[in-house]
Amino acid sequence: MKKKIILVFAIILFLAIVAWMFRDLFTGSPELQKNPYDYGMKELRQTDTVPAYKEVTPLKPALTTITSIATGYDGKIYVAGKGGVDILDISGRILKSFTFPGYATCLTVMPDNTLVIGMGDHVELWDPSGVQISAWQPEDTTSVITSVAASQHKIFVADAGNKIVYQYNELGKLQARIGEKDPSRKIPGFVIPSPYFDVGISPAGELWVANTGRYKLEKYDNDGSLLTSWGEASVTLEGFAGCCNPSHFTILSDGSFVTSEKGIERVKVYSPDGNFIALVARPESFDEGTRGLDLAAGSNGRILILDPLRNQVRVFLPLKKH
Amino acid sequence: MRRKQVILFFLIIGWLSPPAVMAIQRFPKPEFESGYVVPDAQLPLPRAELLAWLDVTVLLLTLSLATYLVLKRRSRMGVFLLSLFSLAYFGFYRQGCVCSIGAIQNVTMALFSGSYTVPLTVLFFFLIPLVFTLLFGRTFCAAVCPFGTFQDLVSFRPVRMGAWLNAFLGMIPYLYLGLAVLFAATTTEFIICRYDPFVGIFRLNASFGMFLFAGLLLVSGVFIARPYCRFLCPYGVLLNWMSQFSWKHMTITPAECIQCRLCENVCPYDAIDFPQTKKNPAGQRKQVNQLILLSLLLPLLVLGGVWTGGKMHLTLAGVNSRVRLARMIQATPVSKDQPEIPEITAFRSSGVQQQQLMTEVATIEDDFLTGSRIFGGFVGLVFGITLIRLIRTPYRTDYLPNRGTCFSCAKCMDYCPVLKDKTNN
Ligand code: SF4
Repeated sequence: MKKKIILVFAIILFLAIVAWMFRDLFTGSPELQKNPYDYGMKELRQTDTVPAYKEVTPLKPALTTITSIATGYDGKIYVAGKGGVDILDISGRILKSFTFPGYATCLTVMPDNTLVIGMGDHVELWDPSGVQISAWQPEDTTSVITSVAASQHKIFVADAGNKIVYQYNELGKLQARIGEKDPSRKIPGFVIPSPYFDVGISPAGELWVANTGRYKLEKYDNDGSLLTSWGEASVTLEGFAGCCNPSHFTILSDGSFVTSEKGIERVKVYSPDGNFIALVARPESFDEGTRGLDLAAGSNGRILILDPLRNQVRVFLPLKKH
Repeated sequence: MRRKQVILFFLIIGWLSPPAVMAIQRFPKPEFESGYVVPDAQLPLPRAELLAWLDVTVLLLTLSLATYLVLKRRSRMGVFLLSLFSLAYFGFYRQGCVCSIGAIQNVTMALFSGSYTVPLTVLFFFLIPLVFTLLFGRTFCAAVCPFGTFQDLVSFRPVRMGAWLNAFLGMIPYLYLGLAVLFAATTTEFIICRYDPFVGIFRLNASFGMFLFAGLLLVSGVFIARPYCRFLCPYGVLLNWMSQFSWKHMTITPAECIQCRLCENVCPYDAIDFPQTKKNPAGQRKQVNQLILLSLLLPLLVLGGVWTGGKMHLTLAGVNSRVRLARMIQATPVSKDQPEIPEITAFRSSGVQQQQLMTEVATIEDDFLTGSRIFGGFVGLVFGITLIRLIRTPYRTDYLPNRGTCFSCAKCMDYCPVLKDKTNN
């Protein structure tokens, strides 16, 4: 009797194994239902840290496709995108718009309010009234201009295609090639795996470049020597996550940095020496897959984030002074 | 003179071609800027080829030794020790590959697909055990196949199963073989490898599912001795066929059977056929009638199988990845809101037109129609023959190992009190 029970148990077990095999074979492999290459960003997007900023009403430019933002020395907000520029005040009122053929990929404002606009493969200077002043093209072919930064006599142009930062004067004359790989000067060169390559000028007039492949912000002097850098790859809030980040940054008047990332969309503030200070906007604030969160510093500690997916300028106010 | 020129030409071409072939680089190497140094290209090392031939040599040696131990020495201990060596070598050292069981698929694919050539060593792994079995019975199962040994090690409390149950479960390997051949012939999948329960253990990399599969199989193997070998192994079907016609098969007794019945219950695999000497005219007549009826039914069973196979061909074709992809594309509406299945994304970005895929799938389904009918007919035939075998009770005076199902493991030999050349009473 006992043997019979054992036998029945063993046979049921064996038949169940065979049944599983057949079921697995005919109901399709499980990989088809689930993406085996899924990076599982959902969990990484979650954070318990409370942002030190609160979002207020976003600004809505007239342009239908926006790509870049800058604040002028006059306190106005300049937004560029497909076919033109919108100039807004802090309340979101459109003060001026002008159009041009082509697609602006980046924008900055010189102290005299001249607009420097990167147009993908060339640079254009525009008067804020909508009159074009000049245009020039980098000497290297295959340029992908992703960022511009300017002081009164220096215009820095980041070219992701050639992984280099050009320094021009206001007339468009090339002054220096910065960051070019040069082992003799111990310059390792920029690692730019995707067209996110930002430049900025600190209040002290120093050039900072986002070496996104190395997850670092790097400071260069006038002759292109690497002076210092900070930043590390990490999914924690302290570091930069994903393939190549920070995708954008801006420098506040006190020298601290605001950075934005793609992949795990988040905006953070770092001290001038690169220590994490505060979270501005958490990943949940953005639609998943948002890329190109260009940044600008607004008045009263505001941080302006260009959200290309929602076609808005998102405004974040500090909860308290840090 | 002309011949010499031709030879010289080919010699020069032969001498020049390897560097030329090696020089081809389809894509320029990426320039890594992180200091990463691209390692030198690893060509298959000559040792790998040598190792494959070493495996063939070890297979030949172990098979010869197993045959010698079973047929000449009649040594269970010898067989057991050799089987441990095979488990260590073919199982854990060679990690279950090449294996004769999986080689069925390589050979089938080579027969049906013009673009695939079966490596010679794999062909040997497929053929050598079959040839040995045709000559000496299933000594391969006894001491060479690592799967068998693995299961033998856990077979602590084997329970005897009746003839009908053995016959019923014994049909599964035929089904499995038929499907394995069908899927290999249509270049769909190597299902024997996909459901290989032990290779993941040999390689210590089994997924949880496969680990569970192997674990449960071994648990059932505590009571059903060698469940994979008896009721799943598709290669066992071929070995069974060969063994039926084996030239010299092991015997339980070294001399004349004295009907002591000591071996009656010792075979854990129910592979001993009992004497069949009773003659019952009434029963015999009934049996003859049943056999005639079944013989007449056999063609109908085959035809029924062909018909059912034909009806099932679309289900069977669904295992093919191209067919599945086409069905997925047809079933998935293009929607921006829903993330696309990666297979569909990969297909769309390949540039192949959907129409092209559908044409390809129609050809595959046609192949499956033919294949499924043959498969169905085969299953019908196996079913009919199994029934006939169950009803048929051939006349036997001695306890004999069943030539088809006996693994030649030599376990029963130790129980036989008969000594060679003389009886001991
Ligand atoms: S050798 Fe004996 S014990 Fe082993 S399988 Fe054959 S009949 Fe069974």
